Amino acid sequence: MQGVRKNNYTKSLAILVIVIVLFFLPQYGSDYAISIGVLIFLYISLGQMWNLLGGYSGLVSLGQQIFVGIGGYTAALVTEVWHQSIAVSLVVAAGVSLVFAFIISFPIFKMRGVYFTIGTWIVSEALLVFFRNWKFVNYDAGYNITIAYRIPMSQIYHGALVIGIGSVVLVYLILRSRMGLALMSMRDNEGAAEVRGVRLYRTKLYCFVISSVYTAITGVVLYLNIAYIKPGAAFGIDWTVCMVFIVVIGGLGTIEGPIIGAVVYVILRQYLYSFPGISMVILGAVAVAIILLMPKGIMGAIHKKFGVEVFSVRRRIDERLEDGS
Amino acid sequence: MRSLFSVQELAIAFGSNQVLTSVNFDLGEGEVLGVIGPNGAGKTVLLNIITGILKPDKGRMVFLDQDIVGVSTVDRARRGIGRTFQIPRSFENMTSYENTLVGGVFGDAQTEKAAGRKACEILDTIGLCDKKLEFAGKLSLLDRKRLEIGIALAGNPKMLLLDEAAGGLTESEVSEILEIVRRIKASGISIIWIEHVLQTMLHGTDRVLLLADGRDMICGLPEEVMASREVEDVYLGTGGKRRKRVAE
Repeated sequence: MQGVRKNNYTKSLAILVIVIVLFFLPQYGSDYAISIGVLIFLYISLGQMWNLLGGYSGLVSLGQQIFVGIGGYTAALVTEVWHQSIAVSLVVAAGVSLVFAFIISFPIFKMRGVYFTIGTWIVSEALLVFFRNWKFVNYDAGYNITIAYRIPMSQIYHGALVIGIGSVVLVYLILRSRMGLALMSMRDNEGAAEVRGVRLYRTKLYCFVISSVYTAITGVVLYLNIAYIKPGAAFGIDWTVCMVFIVVIGGLGTIEGPIIGAVVYVILRQYLYSFPGISMVILGAVAVAIILLMPKGIMGAIHKKFGVEVFSVRRRIDERLEDGS
Repeated sequence: MRSLFSVQELAIAFGSNQVLTSVNFDLGEGEVLGVIGPNGAGKTVLLNIITGILKPDKGRMVFLDQDIVGVSTVDRARRGIGRTFQIPRSFENMTSYENTLVGGVFGDAQTEKAAGRKACEILDTIGLCDKKLEFAGKLSLLDRKRLEIGIALAGNPKMLLLDEAAGGLTESEVSEILEIVRRIKASGISIIWIEHVLQTMLHGTDRVLLLADGRDMICGLPEEVMASREVEDVYLGTGGKRRKRVAE
């Protein structure tokens, strides 16, 4: 037990050092390193939220771009049309996405498996068409998010860092909670979990709403970084494709997976800019290769080989109970 | 003996296949009822109906004086109906301790702390104390069967449904399962036990019910039922020959 405690202490210290190093990156890192950092943190967040759905709840959604779009458009409208602060746009994005996720959950939760997947995609496509024809959001022309030009890059970096770390902490806390126990049992066997008293619908709904709200908040910072929004990009399936890629190559159903996946994805994308015509083909080939060689993703392979688990959500037995038993 | 659970006129069909036509039985408090029958008789279907996985076409099921036909699977579990599966459905990527915790937290609506305390006792009862931190997916078949019972027990059931708990086990392993069932019975929990290993029915049950042709053919003391003409007919297929002899 003392060994476990010492190990936890070492892990916590290492994580703290990494966070401190990352926090001060804008003071010693190049602009390029900072922009890469922003992307990695935001993709970690997107990956964690998709993993909460696909990796734990069994809800394989191809429509999470809905919430990236809602976040982005909220940032644009709140700052450009209503001239409010970014803080207000974060609150509005959370509120709008919460309501929207709750509303669409009624029809799409009636669908199961692949129908749910297709259902979420259809909703996002419908929203894309709606935004392209909506005068209030400037049709297909979109918006320049001019406030983004006035924010120093270091502020966007720190915002992204908070979002990225926040997503990891949020998923960790969820998995350590009662809901996490339900999610892990559902991940392993949904039918058996229900027979043992786990409320599937409620747990999935909470997960969907939490994931959607946090994805929208991430969308706000993402579009502050991009500084320009239009429907095709905001509600494009590319967002979800990258979330799936990150989670699958990193390790489905693990907290570490999306972190590893996001780092690999962002670095790979930077490298693949040199091959514009075939970049997606290479990305797909990498995904297929990793799935074939490491079916549980990079983290799954690391865990299998070295038994490493950075964010352990295992339930430990109370020492006093162990002594008594 | 006070009745804990009763089934009346239960029927279910899948398309044109009438699996259960009319099933009736009672289960007393603290009683172990064995259910036997040939393959395809609808034994597992019966358990699936009792747990709410399947909805019957007609019939009543009264548990603790309340009709539970319209009650959801989750609420049945929380009212005290626990079950195991023929092919163990423990949570493979969770430890034995965590598996048992799921039963306590969700089946018995306990806090994790309270469920944890009880989980240790249960793992001790089912003989998995030394494997409490092992992943369920890595356990042997006997241990997974034990764990199934443990998860169900953690939900504090008043009635436990065992679906072939001894299936696929060796003779000595079957004895271990029998011992666990005896301990559960001693704690006052009623049990409906489906089994193909007929010897377990003789030694581990108070009454045995024969399910065949979609209905309850005979129900009584294990020795009587095992020696009955109905069991002989169903298992050895001698019904036709006997009728022919009588006719001659």
